[in-house]
Amino acid sequence: MDHPIYYPKSEYIETDTGNKVSRRATIAGPQNIILGGKTVIANGAIIRGDLRRTGPGHAVVISLGRYCLVGEGCIMRPPYKTYRGNFNYYPMKIGDHVHIGANTVVEAAQIGSHVEIGKNCVIGKFTIIKDCAKIADNTVIPPNTVIPALSLFAGSPGHFVEDMPESTQEMVEAMTKSYYSRFQPDPSSAAAQQR
Amino acid sequence: MKGDITIGAGTIVHPKATIFAATGPIVIGSNCIIEEGAIILNRRKEVLRIGDENLFEIGCRVECPMGNCNTICTRARIHYTTRLSSYCVIGAGCLVVATEEEILDEYTVIYGPEGERRIWSGRGRLQEADLRRKHAEYLREMLPKFNRLRRGEGA
Repeated sequence: MDHPIYYPKSEYIETDTGNKVSRRATIAGPQNIILGGKTVIANGAIIRGDLRRTGPGHAVVISLGRYCLVGEGCIMRPPYKTYRGNFNYYPMKIGDHVHIGANTVVEAAQIGSHVEIGKNCVIGKFTIIKDCAKIADNTVIPPNTVIPALSLFAGSPGHFVEDMPESTQEMVEAMTKSYYSRFQPDPSSAAAQQR
Repeated sequence: MKGDITIGAGTIVHPKATIFAATGPIVIGSNCIIEEGAIILNRRKEVLRIGDENLFEIGCRVECPMGNCNTICTRARIHYTTRLSSYCVIGAGCLVVATEEEILDEYTVIYGPEGERRIWSGRGRLQEADLRRKHAEYLREMLPKFNRLRRGEGA
């Protein structure tokens, strides 16, 4: 568990608040995206901050909390619908300690804290995922689903499988923190750069 | 984008979509929306013709000709043996592989992990078309503000 995950230093940009964003991720409209700090965005991820709400003023499209992970090849885009005859995209809020697996497509409206989402999932539009929930790998969640707190969802279409243990919050918190501390630049490549 | 491709007026191609005319040309109609990660591939000699107002969602893979107003949901895959007529919906993560040439009827809906089928009554079709039209209008207005545009020869 304690082995560090090394990445080439040149591949990631680290911000003052400890976010690590891959240079190979596609981030559209970065002025509309808020990262909480200590968040990792992996290679090949696509985050669409350009699909914003119409109207004046500053619009936050996607906000991520602390200690989040956006996996490789992940696509995150805000959901859209027409409301009273007006077409609009709606903001996406994600809490702290959220891990999203590789190649997952997320169009949720809201994701709570301490949520784990597996690989190759499809999270439909306007889905609300409450705190401490877990989505298994390869799950397809239909649009407008509400996933209750402390539940495990799996299958296509995704359905309730079992309750998560009460200790989920501490376990996920420890897991995401240890992941972030393990995710560090490759010392050999850093040494090579200094030379 | 590679090969001989013709795209109609008002069609929106999001960043990171792939349109690959490997052996034959691809002709896409007007007002389609092709989202990121979608792949449209032609492996046959003849023209792959895609009608108007189709929606290709994230990460889908299409190798077949189709009519108008179809929806290919997230990460669905359709093989080149199938043909879609109009108003079809292919659900999220579905895989459509026909062993022989097959034409899907109008209003066919394919859903679930086993690719079950049923016929849609057509209710809410106008609303759907309206949503699609407004979506396209919105994207035409907003996308150029944040993304670099590639000008076609016609523009």
